[in-house]
Amino acid sequence: MQRTPFILRNPSVLIVIAVLAVFTAAVTAASAAYGTGVMPTSMVKVLGKTLCLALAAVAMDLVWGYLGILSLGQMAFFALGGYMIGQWLMYARTEGIVAASMAANPIPPTPAELQEGVAGQIFGVVGSTDLPWAWTFAHSLPAQLALVLIVPGLLALVFGWLAFRSRVNGVYLSILTQAMTLALALWLFQNDSGFRGNNGLSGLQNIPGLEDVGQARLSVWFLWASALALALGYVLAAWLMGGKFGSVTRAIRDDETRVRFLGYPVEGFKLAVFTIAAMITAIAGALYYPQAGIINPAELAPIASIYLAVWVAIGGRGRLYGAVIGAVVVSLLSSWFTGGRAPDLNIAGLRMAWVDWWQVALGLTFVLVTLFAPKGIAGLFDILNRKAKS
Amino acid sequence: MTALARIAPFALALLMPLAALANPALDAVIADNLDQIERPSRQTVAPLIADIAATGPEGLAMLQAWSARELALTEDGRAVITSGEVPVDAVTGDPVTDDFSSLRPNSGVRGVIDGALVVSQLSDPDPAIRRGALDTLARRADAAQLAALRGALDDPDPAIAARKARLERLLTIQLGEDSANRVQAIRQLSGDVALDFRAALNPLLATRIVATKDEPGGNVARELRPGSDDLSRQDAIAMLVDQGVLQPRLTSAEQRTRLAANIVDGRVGGLPVAALDDPDARDRAYEALEAEGAVPPAATEAETEAALDAHGFFAVYAEPDAAVTEAAETALTRTQTRLGVMRGFDLGLDALSLASIYFLAAIGLAVTFGVMRVINMAHGEFIMMGAYTGYVVQTLIADRTLSLLVALPLAFAVTFAAGVVLYRLVIRHLAHRPLETLLATFGVSIALQQLAKNIFGTQARPLTSPAWLEGAITFNDVVSISSIRVAIFVLALLFLGLFLFIMKRTRLGLEVRAVTQNPGMAASMGINPDRIAMMTFGLGSGIAGIAGVAIGLFAQVTSELGQQYIVQSFMTVVVGGVGNIWGTLAGATLIGGLSKVIESLNPANTLAAQTFMILFIIIFIQFRPRGIIPQKGRAAEV
Repeated sequence: MQRTPFILRNPSVLIVIAVLAVFTAAVTAASAAYGTGVMPTSMVKVLGKTLCLALAAVAMDLVWGYLGILSLGQMAFFALGGYMIGQWLMYARTEGIVAASMAANPIPPTPAELQEGVAGQIFGVVGSTDLPWAWTFAHSLPAQLALVLIVPGLLALVFGWLAFRSRVNGVYLSILTQAMTLALALWLFQNDSGFRGNNGLSGLQNIPGLEDVGQARLSVWFLWASALALALGYVLAAWLMGGKFGSVTRAIRDDETRVRFLGYPVEGFKLAVFTIAAMITAIAGALYYPQAGIINPAELAPIASIYLAVWVAIGGRGRLYGAVIGAVVVSLLSSWFTGGRAPDLNIAGLRMAWVDWWQVALGLTFVLVTLFAPKGIAGLFDILNRKAKS
Repeated sequence: MTALARIAPFALALLMPLAALANPALDAVIADNLDQIERPSRQTVAPLIADIAATGPEGLAMLQAWSARELALTEDGRAVITSGEVPVDAVTGDPVTDDFSSLRPNSGVRGVIDGALVVSQLSDPDPAIRRGALDTLARRADAAQLAALRGALDDPDPAIAARKARLERLLTIQLGEDSANRVQAIRQLSGDVALDFRAALNPLLATRIVATKDEPGGNVARELRPGSDDLSRQDAIAMLVDQGVLQPRLTSAEQRTRLAANIVDGRVGGLPVAALDDPDARDRAYEALEAEGAVPPAATEAETEAALDAHGFFAVYAEPDAAVTEAAETALTRTQTRLGVMRGFDLGLDALSLASIYFLAAIGLAVTFGVMRVINMAHGEFIMMGAYTGYVVQTLIADRTLSLLVALPLAFAVTFAAGVVLYRLVIRHLAHRPLETLLATFGVSIALQQLAKNIFGTQARPLTSPAWLEGAITFNDVVSISSIRVAIFVLALLFLGLFLFIMKRTRLGLEVRAVTQNPGMAASMGINPDRIAMMTFGLGSGIAGIAGVAIGLFAQVTSELGQQYIVQSFMTVVVGGVGNIWGTLAGATLIGGLSKVIESLNPANTLAAQTFMILFIIIFIQFRPRGIIPQKGRAAEV
């Protein structure tokens, strides 16, 4: 049987990549470092971060839209990715500073002294001068890059294996994923767990070795990296879900018991999708936090993961481009409305500041979308398609 | 000795100011010691005070006045007590009209006077003075006072007699004449958990650490190893340095500074500077400098190690008597054991009250989940609504008790209505789509939270409990529980009873159970599942409102109040199993008890406690995926 090529089966992939390319080119042309400078560097960073969130939303869509698991723990993987890369960023930068200050002394420092100095700089804020075991590989970029994938992947694998083999599903599973995120956040909040407690890791926007480049150019580089990651992640997700693997995945979403009776190893499929999604989310996080500059355990608050679900739902779940649209639209709107730049409303003489009322509006919009537009924004494309055909 | 004979002197003392009896003995003592009375010294005044006390009631009255700085001397050497309206002569009790100068004994002298007075106060007819004397003795006492206390053990007031007997035992532990006596006192009180007994044992068991090459002298408690928890390696080195058997050990920074000060032609002690990034090389360079006499001597790592090996470190009791310390150790162990049991009991009370709160918070969730398979994410916001209702009522009604009585039903009504509205507008339209319901109710949750923030502001609002709920019920030094928590426990019991009554004894309960078990069949029997679902949703929300008032009484009311309890409520439902009130009860007990137990293992770190708690639940779900009390039959298959 002649199989239709991947691209023909997924025309949306080409469109998304084209839009992404145009968007990236436009931002580059408007940036201060490589273009006219119309767009301030902070805006470039916001857009770059938005692309990372869109990638996380794609992963969320894999888990929720295609596999049917409403995971409320995706931000755990996102933040873990950020923490792993943050460890290297912080360690390497501090090492540079400490080595420079020690060079003033005529006697060269011993490796132990250097490490002690770095640890004192990083952990002085939580009252410790020892380097915790979790920072064993912090000096090595390749090791931490590998850990970006390994740690969240392993967590997803272990948690998923425990949850799926005992047939926990539906809302139980959602609550359990939320509990996992909360446990991780609480653990990170402790000063003695080795991640600087609620101070988190900071100064991540300064890339060691690239101090001379400047934030203007770095922000554009990160935008490119984020766009590339989103494109690759999107293609990977589309490819996975477009084939037989994707068909089984969707079948599990629609009737898990029947798929099991047909002889498919349901747990294996679930575990694979859950773990892959966790790793994609971790990559998104590893790109997000150097742009944000700081990561702390508050990023893992259960509410953050639920927002991710909200974006996917508003964008339209079960479609990858829906997830991208939802993440981009809602997160940009959120930062616009809560940033205090939106004009206040005057309703019947009452002055309503969007800063105060955006959350209310978002919550109600969300209820309305769930009730009346379960396909989300992406559902509009169906209507347009139908009109075009008729 | 008859009671009359014992009371007689006190009766005389009371009559003294009126009767103006002369006391020649006192007069003589005063006349002989005028100098000492005017300028007493703490070291030498004790015999004089004993003499004065021995002269009888007038002497004691004079001592009291002296200690209170109310004693004066006239020009011709008569003592005057100035405490009353009219100054009186200390010996005769007659009013004094001559000029006099007040005496100002220093606090050391007054301490000695008080000590002498205590002995007489122990037999004072006024119980308050006797109690005061016991308080003084409990703070500090000497062997003479112990003997006096033993002489005054009889007391008309049984409570004071018991205190005297107890204090006598406690003082015997510290001051007893011989080892057997003290050991016996320790044995008698062994296992007692009161603070005073533990305070009496502690000085006996205090140790100091000695380092020696030979067998240690004194009453050795145990040998210590440097680098263990009891004795850090650094402390051990510091001890040896203090004793002069080890040269001071330099920190890496000190060593580096001294090396840097001795760089000659890019070399230190013969080693090139570049090679000094290694601790061993630095030690060698320093030794070389030491040999030249360029730097003060310091111990190297090897020397330190050898010195540590050569010495033994021992904890030695300050108390020389081995029999006493041994008895004290045994007694303390028994005390600790009993203390542990009591702490466990106290923990149980704490856990019970926490479980009651979780039960109240989770019961509504469990019911709605059981009937509709729906998780209501806005449940926490209903709790918050209840708390704010309580706050608003309290601003309107000043009387705390009345406002609480109004707030409870009102909170129920408000959240019941909110629940019904939520059901009619949202949840009904999402039947059989539990994940969408979860998200939609979450939308409601963030909207309500922000709404509360807009209305009430971000600062915490107080919800003050009535006076009769303040305070605590105390059983002893260890076990106590605040009244509010007892009240919440009662409230939880009340709702358990009410809930059981509704479910088992009313038409509504019957219909709810029918819909829970099989909605289709229930509908075909003429039950309207939609109405039942609405009622249970309202009921569950109403109970959340009540829980909100209860929680508000001890926690701060903020817009995030609900969020703090919602996750625990979910856990309670998941662990307990749905659709069964006993499951919720079991879940709440397990979660409440477990969090308290984990918290008590590491009291400084409540975050770790919560982390372990959640990990436990994730693992628990592995073994009981449907909770402690799972739903059985067809309803479980849905």
